[in-house]
Amino acid sequence: MAVRWRTPVGRGRRHHRVAIAAVLVAMTVAGCGGGAQAGPPTLHWYIGKQGSSAYTDDAAACTKAANGAYRIQVVDLPADADAQREQLVRRLAAGDSSIDVIGMDVIWTAEFAKAGWVREWTGDRRATVEDGAVPTALGTAKFEDRLWASPQNTNAQVLFWRKDLVPNPPATWDEMIDVAAKLGPEGKIEAQGARYEGLTVWFNSLVASAGGQILSPDGKVALGPPGVDALRVMKKLATSPAADPSLSNDREDQSTSAFVAGKAAFMVNYSAVLPSLNKQAPDLVAKVGIAPWPSVVPGQPSHVTLGGYNLGVGKFTKHPNQAFAAAACLTSPESQVRNASLGGLPPTKEALYSDPSVTAALGPADVLHSTLLAASQRPATPAYNDVSLAVQKTIHPEKAIDPKRTESDLRSKLGKVLKSGGLI
Amino acid sequence: MMKTQHGSERVLWSVGSIIVIASALVPFAWIISLSFKPGDELGNGKFLPRSLTLDNYSKVFKNDSFLSALRNSLGIALIATVIGVALGAMAAYAIARLDFPGKTAILVCALAIAMFPPVSIIGSLFNVWRTLHLFDTWPGLIIPYVTFTLPLSIWALSAFFREIPWELEQAAQVDGATPFQAFRKVILPLAAPGLVTAGILAFIFAWNDFLFAISLTSTDRARTVPAALAFFTGNTQFEQPTGAIAAAAVVVTVPIIVLVLVFQRRIVAGLTAGAVKG
Amino acid sequence: MSGPALSERARSERRLGWLLCTPAVIAMVAVTAYPIGYAIWLSLQRADLRFPNDNAFIGLRNYTDVLTSKVWWADLSTTLTITVVSLAIELVIGMAVALVLHRAVFVRRTVRTSVLIPYGIITVVASLAWKYAFTPGTGFVNPLLGANSDLLGSRVPSMIVIIMTEVWKTTPFMALLLLAGLALVPDELHDAARVDGAGPVQRFFLITLPLMKPAILVAMLFRALDAFRIFDSVFILTRGANDTESVSILGYNQLINRLNLGIGSAVSVLIFVCVLVIALIFVKGFGTSLIGQGDK
Repeated sequence: MAVRWRTPVGRGRRHHRVAIAAVLVAMTVAGCGGGAQAGPPTLHWYIGKQGSSAYTDDAAACTKAANGAYRIQVVDLPADADAQREQLVRRLAAGDSSIDVIGMDVIWTAEFAKAGWVREWTGDRRATVEDGAVPTALGTAKFEDRLWASPQNTNAQVLFWRKDLVPNPPATWDEMIDVAAKLGPEGKIEAQGARYEGLTVWFNSLVASAGGQILSPDGKVALGPPGVDALRVMKKLATSPAADPSLSNDREDQSTSAFVAGKAAFMVNYSAVLPSLNKQAPDLVAKVGIAPWPSVVPGQPSHVTLGGYNLGVGKFTKHPNQAFAAAACLTSPESQVRNASLGGLPPTKEALYSDPSVTAALGPADVLHSTLLAASQRPATPAYNDVSLAVQKTIHPEKAIDPKRTESDLRSKLGKVLKSGGLI
Repeated sequence: MMKTQHGSERVLWSVGSIIVIASALVPFAWIISLSFKPGDELGNGKFLPRSLTLDNYSKVFKNDSFLSALRNSLGIALIATVIGVALGAMAAYAIARLDFPGKTAILVCALAIAMFPPVSIIGSLFNVWRTLHLFDTWPGLIIPYVTFTLPLSIWALSAFFREIPWELEQAAQVDGATPFQAFRKVILPLAAPGLVTAGILAFIFAWNDFLFAISLTSTDRARTVPAALAFFTGNTQFEQPTGAIAAAAVVVTVPIIVLVLVFQRRIVAGLTAGAVKG
Repeated sequence: MSGPALSERARSERRLGWLLCTPAVIAMVAVTAYPIGYAIWLSLQRADLRFPNDNAFIGLRNYTDVLTSKVWWADLSTTLTITVVSLAIELVIGMAVALVLHRAVFVRRTVRTSVLIPYGIITVVASLAWKYAFTPGTGFVNPLLGANSDLLGSRVPSMIVIIMTEVWKTTPFMALLLLAGLALVPDELHDAARVDGAGPVQRFFLITLPLMKPAILVAMLFRALDAFRIFDSVFILTRGANDTESVSILGYNQLINRLNLGIGSAVSVLIFVCVLVIALIFVKGFGTSLIGQGDK
């Protein structure tokens, strides 16, 4: 027994432990550390992945134009807007100071402004942004009459129709559904009815075209008869033979694929799908016409929902002045022209719709432009995320809609959600 | 005493064993297969790859986010394990050897923590960490990990410590060692296997955690591997870098599997220690 | 110990005992008790991080919102379905595996090894593996079954895949617990029964099961709670879509996505209560003995 406690094992163990502790300390330091940098401050621009090099080129051009005042670094977020929001919102709520410039989906303006996550654009900066902007696009960057971001790009849906199947594009949804039903199996209508933001977009467009809105300007629930009308149209499409059987699972890509395969006579989709139509089925494109989105009320134009992105400046950034300058440069006419020609992203400055390089890249530029001028906005409320979820979950699947009951159901859900209540 | 097994019984048990083994390995084999598949084969729905490629692995090792995630996971899990086992060992020693009121209460407490739903505290932790600037940091994850690995550590270690012949410590003291020397050179080597087991169990728990990882982190600073795997981005919303994710999954899994296989007997003992008293 | 007063030695032993246990107890209690108390407090408020200036005390309104919402009850029933079904399957398969490990010594090591592999694979990886297996195009399951549709696109198939992932991952643990319980059944009883003419099935149900009851109940309690708290596999496989949302996913969505700490905390507290109820049912109702005669 006397030898037991003299074994060298104990000593070896002690050295082991010191070594492990040293490694751990080193790793902790390495894990927590960040280097200090000399030179111009790096501004992080958080934006969803774009298929082209438009954004990286913008960042490079603006870095050059800054002449050493700052460097812009693009930080990729997922391409899906909901996934982007998920990542941004948590970090902004935690006061992340590394978020300098934010690519904000137009629906986040109210939420980010109210929560205090973005800085307000005032004075000269605001004047520059407002100068020559497409009014409806500018409206998406405003909340409570204050400007919270600089519009970068915008888009809205148009109607694609087969010139070889019908002589004229339909003027209203009812007309389109009736005409398509008579066309038989190749006369389908492609729309996006999956349970996602696109469904809220569709619903909002219908309500606005019916002369109403989801929320009134003072933030209370509106809907009413226009809401019932919108639901009636959705149900009519869903239960008509003209509907694509996978309507309640379709998003933009699925609609495009079906249209390209020649299975449909009509498609409502973003004008930006035209280039991919061109690529996938050039001979089909010759037979395709572009028209404004069908209206709901005969004789009155439609008011399609506006989409797009605005660039905001993070509240907790360490370089606010540089961030504002960077955001302004990234949304300047030069950047927007580049985004249009490389990425097919419609600009937010009026004058650019007469620019030949822009119109060449955009395709149906005049239809798109007039659509943009008449477009509607989704409800501007900080609770927009919940509003959209409530809309999606209440309306989906479209076949099960009972216009009056669904409208009142939605109205009560929205009422709760606006008070931070209700379970989504 | 073991019964002699008839031939047919043997066959039955063998077949059963094969089924058990195969079903345990299928998903693992599938992920390995995916990780070696070149891009054009990813969509063909076949189990085995027709040609092998190391592309996915090179993509993964060049990916900064993944490397940070590996570093974060390793560091956080190790630190949480060391702290957790240290605290657990102290408590287990007390429970196994000392007499004091409140022992049962502590065991009940450990039980309660093991049954606790983590989702019930992520909101509070998020809010508190936000204000304490612990959000998206290593300590922000280490703290809940220590808490939730303590029950298993305490049970495994107290069961283990009860088996140690403590008289040896006294015998060493009789032989002239100070209590501390006796503890270090007699007891510690005997306790080491138990500590290693508890350490492995705690490490696997911390390595495996997902809910705290995605709720309390957001960037490469502290995001661990499970969270990183779940949020790997593709180029479009429909593109998922399946091959790269599979390669990352294999890289993350193989070391743990090796660890588990090397220490399997200890792990089994540790896992069942708390549940079946007898 | 001498008389009513504790001897010096006993007292110092007590002090040492408490001293050694205090850090662990603090680590356990501080990180759970304070947050759950905070959650209860938050649940009585309107606390929405998107309306930071509108915090107000609203009493039980969050609870009424949650308890009158179809979403809560649907998610609760989904979670309970997953719990009950996976528990039942795991019991049966786990018992079978435990029997294999117990009887077939010659394959014991290989079986034990392969049984620990699911334990070593992190849940996220296992879920990803199954997700890719079932994705149309990438996965090998669709061609195998000759199925065309997206099996993860509708409720019942998704639930089946989720349950299957859970069962695959945790049956090993169940098997190990049951094996430990099996080891407690003395062979002599089996021998005696065999002499009396009882067949293997009879012996299993009349001798093995009753003697294993404590071990089975403990295993069931822990698995039931684990299944009720399911999060990782549902998140990876479906993100809660197609009506497969579990209560933990619901809580996560309200808290981290919606940043609605009031409603989210109400959900958290309700989940906590459910877990308490399940534990109570097992301990009081089924007589699960958790602490037992184990200490010293």
